[in-house]
Amino acid sequence: MEFTWTPEQLDLRSSTRRLLETRAPLARTRELAEAGQRRDEAAWSAMTQQAGLLALGVPEEHGGAGGSRVEQSLVFEEAGRVLLGGPLLPTVLAIEALLAAGDDAALEEHLPGLVEGERTATLAVLGSTGRWRPSSPTTVAARSGDGAVLSGTEELVLDGADADLLLVLARAEGGPTLYAVPRDAEGVTVERLDVLDLTRPMARLHLAAVPARPLGLTGGGAGVVERVHRAAAVLVAAEQVGAMDTLVARTAEYARTRRAFGRPIGAFQAVKHRLADMAVQLEMSRSAAAWAAFQDPGSADEAFGAAVAASYCGEAFLQAAKDTIQLHGGVGFTWEHDAHLFLRRARAAATLTGPPSEHRAALVPLVLPDLVAPGHTEVPS
Amino acid sequence: MIELSPTATEDEVAAATERWLHENLPPSWLKAVLDDDRTVVAAHLADADGMRRWFATLGDAGLATPTWPREYGGLDLSAEQAAAVADVLMRYRANRPMDDFIGLTLTGPTVLAHGTPEQKERYLRPIARGEERWCQLFSEPGAGSDLAALSTRAVRQEDGTWRVDGQKVWNSFAHIADRGLLMARTSPEKPKHHGISYFLVDMRTPGLEVRPLKQMTGDAEFNEVFLTDVVLPADALLGEVDGGWAVAITTLMQERNGLSGRPAVGPGVADDLARRAAAAGTWADPVLRDRLLAMLVEERVLQMTTVRASVASGRAMAGAEGSIRKLVSSGLEETAGSLAAEVEPVTALGWPQGAPLPAAAYEFLAMKQTSIAGGTSEIQRTIIAERLLGLPKDPDPEKDLPFSQRSRA
Ligand SMILES: Cc1cc2nc3c(=O)[nH]c(=O)nc-3n(C[C@H](O)[C@H](O)[C@H](O)COP(=O)(O)OP(=O)(O)OC[C@H]3O[C@@H](n4cnc5c(N)ncnc54)[C@H](O)[C@@H]3O)c2cc1C
Repeated sequence: MEFTWTPEQLDLRSSTRRLLETRAPLARTRELAEAGQRRDEAAWSAMTQQAGLLALGVPEEHGGAGGSRVEQSLVFEEAGRVLLGGPLLPTVLAIEALLAAGDDAALEEHLPGLVEGERTATLAVLGSTGRWRPSSPTTVAARSGDGAVLSGTEELVLDGADADLLLVLARAEGGPTLYAVPRDAEGVTVERLDVLDLTRPMARLHLAAVPARPLGLTGGGAGVVERVHRAAAVLVAAEQVGAMDTLVARTAEYARTRRAFGRPIGAFQAVKHRLADMAVQLEMSRSAAAWAAFQDPGSADEAFGAAVAASYCGEAFLQAAKDTIQLHGGVGFTWEHDAHLFLRRARAAATLTGPPSEHRAALVPLVLPDLVAPGHTEVPS
Repeated sequence: MIELSPTATEDEVAAATERWLHENLPPSWLKAVLDDDRTVVAAHLADADGMRRWFATLGDAGLATPTWPREYGGLDLSAEQAAAVADVLMRYRANRPMDDFIGLTLTGPTVLAHGTPEQKERYLRPIARGEERWCQLFSEPGAGSDLAALSTRAVRQEDGTWRVDGQKVWNSFAHIADRGLLMARTSPEKPKHHGISYFLVDMRTPGLEVRPLKQMTGDAEFNEVFLTDVVLPADALLGEVDGGWAVAITTLMQERNGLSGRPAVGPGVADDLARRAAAAGTWADPVLRDRLLAMLVEERVLQMTTVRASVASGRAMAGAEGSIRKLVSSGLEETAGSLAAEVEPVTALGWPQGAPLPAAAYEFLAMKQTSIAGGTSEIQRTIIAERLLGLPKDPDPEKDLPFSQRSRA
């Protein structure tokens, strides 16, 4: 049932919080971002090999720890608190894609290394517009002997310059199909991008007749990607909640201590009320993100929960990041202050899983099916 | 009283309620609901005697006040179980009307928390059975947000009775109420919060005069209430003498919680507005559509928050949590009222002479109601900032002064 976490789940939350606070605090996120590094090697192995965070949500028969989206979302909420970026999100989404594709050979080959944190992976699905477009991939798959070769450009790939394994959605004869490509395969060239969210490196990938292995059924790629898209929406919403929680706590603390006109600035109603609105949107976001995480992956309820959470949490986090800067005054506009890291994350996160208005449009067939009829609306696919 | 195990699931509660309705609802009403015959249902709802009998039956079954203890006419159900009851009653149009909100939602829990056994015995069952309607006599011309500045006086007489003089205002349903929740000043020499007492009054007491006030919607739902030499019996006092502020806090918390809806996620006001837009042809406008969907999202997220609050039963979100939900729900009401006029644009202009006010025009005119009633949105934000975030309290230069020495500008 929604909002009833087991004691084990609550333990997972607090142990993850402790782990990240000691091994990957916000200050470390900043150092990595400024140095252009994707991860702290020691923290990564603590998170994966010791804490087993990537095994969550992976069935035990594939070497995972079992569990559900609820556990994953607790971890992402904690990751959001310290703006942990790097390979975590792309690898989790790639694992999700491998599981959804259900290709036994591929699972056996790739999953153990990914779950153990020895290898990382990413998914190339965003078109040049930054939209998830599972039905019209830009890369093309051509038949070559028994296998396929991929050609094309993937403009915006999370961790694309460093991930070991690339999962690429490509146009094939039987319809969009997902392919596995080792990043160091012949014909792959990588161009690092400058990024708005400094915690999440991205790259542009050029594929020139790269031999690739299809995952699952030919033509089944769109369904896999849709499923991963929903997972992404749910996990990113949890991350947004964690990040917002940090913002509200830090800004309230600042308002209690920074003084002006003989009083803490938190004594001024204009400040109090703006902070109250931030707290309201945080609590609302918390409800939306958790609700979505409690739904069964692949169900219509999950599709509904994911769309609601993506629409609400994305906009709420962006507003909280702006308000944080406003309430900190001049120091909030400096490079040194962490506020801009959150603002950058908030903007990128609300784009990464698709714009909020698109998630809202996706609700129409789910909750107002009678209004999808021609003449009533043209719902973007 | 219907039999329900305390551990019954929501589905079991809903099924039991439905079974009970099939056995107890007047057969022609039941048939009309099942056939979706609105004329017949409306005729039942308009039959005052029939409704009186129905509310008594509903109350005796414990279904009007399912969260109350069994001994006072309830069923000891949890908030979620009660929501399942409310859903079913609503579907059969068998629920109690909004006019009974104050008795059911405010008086009941306040008397349960602060009443003597005699007061509980006397007041609760008639609320459960729909025999007595209540109003709230808190606000005054000089005391709204600053409720503790109220100046209606209650003076204890030698025989233990109380004499009350003063004026109340904005009192919803006072013109049709049997009883009222009254706050009055008993010790003006004490600081403002410490000299107030809380009374349960009979609205037919001599000296108590109700004058309806016309609202911006054209309705006259709220009133002014004048109290002149009103004598109340000693046992009208609820709680301690001068302890009325604590009692009022119980009432106000209930009001915030009660205004933010049932703990269930499902179709709401936004869904209705979207369908009305489709009927009116305005759903084709992509900008309006997105605004309706944004409202739908916010409404669902509020429902999720209400569920979360009821699962945590206050633990995780204690204190200012009711204020959060009240603030969001008043915002939603304002959004709904604004959108209604765009969804059905002709109603923003005119309609045939003498015809009833169109729904959209009413919703538009009523949209600010909840952001003022029950504590304004500014007051809710202040509560959230102070209780949840620990920010400094707003200054009140008169807080510690004897009430009688405060400045009267
Ligand atoms: C439809 C409706 C039904 C009502 N029903 C009842 C009822 O049944 N019983 C009853 O007793 N009362 C009732 N009320 C009264 C309601 O509780 C008060 O109107 C409300 O508390 C505001 O008080 P006020 O009208 O005196 O406004 P004021 O307190 O004068 O407020 C005016 C403005 O100043 C702002 N303000 C005041 N103090 C502060 C502050 N400290 N910080 C920031 N801003 C502030 C307010 O937010 C508001 O915007 C009802 C009101 C309405 C509209």
